Amino acid sequence: MSDSHPHCVFCDIVQGKQPAKYVYEDEFVVAFWDANPAAALHILIVPREHIPTLNDIPPDNNILRHLGQVASRIAADFGVAESGYRFVINVNRGGGQMVFHLHVHLVSRTWREPG
Amino acid sequence: MDDCIFCKIIRGELPARKIYEDETTVAFWDLRPASPVHVLIVPRKHVPTLNDIPRGDHLISHMCDVAKKLAQDLGVAQSGYRFFINVNRGGGQVIFHLHAHLVAGNDFGTLFIKAGIAIAVLWRKLVSLVCRDGASQKGS
Repeated sequence: MSDSHPHCVFCDIVQGKQPAKYVYEDEFVVAFWDANPAAALHILIVPREHIPTLNDIPPDNNILRHLGQVASRIAADFGVAESGYRFVINVNRGGGQMVFHLHVHLVSRTWREPG
Repeated sequence: MDDCIFCKIIRGELPARKIYEDETTVAFWDLRPASPVHVLIVPRKHVPTLNDIPRGDHLISHMCDVAKKLAQDLGVAQSGYRFFINVNRGGGQVIFHLHAHLVAGNDFGTLFIKAGIAIAVLWRKLVSLVCRDGASQKGS
């Protein structure tokens, strides 16, 4: 990772210093189960690069396009792309952001755990 | 799409309180706002859902850029806002023309949760006071 943040829980997860239940990873992002899920399916998609909020994405950075594609792909993998899901980015405290490392919530109430 | 409400708004056939437009997107106030700030950011091109954005298309990035700009203009960029896209029926999508919601301020859900927490805290204090009084009366 190019620039991690010393006290960031998501940077620690990205670097493997803290455990998480991964569902996807590539060169730019990692995705894992939310530790406190708000729905049956609640995945966080997190850029490897430490960007605090949506407001801080530099111009001409393609991370959002990639986050959108990965969300769509994970939704398809879990079988909720057609039944429905939400793609949510909370920005700053008043928007409900708790961890100041940009992340997307992929949330679906239509998912049923297999078995 | 002839019968799409958002396509009609974009073509000017239906009224909407537009606050921004460019060659790719149009943004207007939600007709049934869930919060004091509730703006919809809609691509001009009819794309049904997030799943239907062609691979490599920059539409999401552009919609987010518009959200960032509007959040700044509306004075909520630092205080906070939510950017979300509902996908298909189970995700809460009602109009099948891709759109992002930009929401800020206290919505009724948040107020309800805050009121619920306040009542629970007061109730616990009341119960602990009553229990303490009961215990001290038994002891005396």
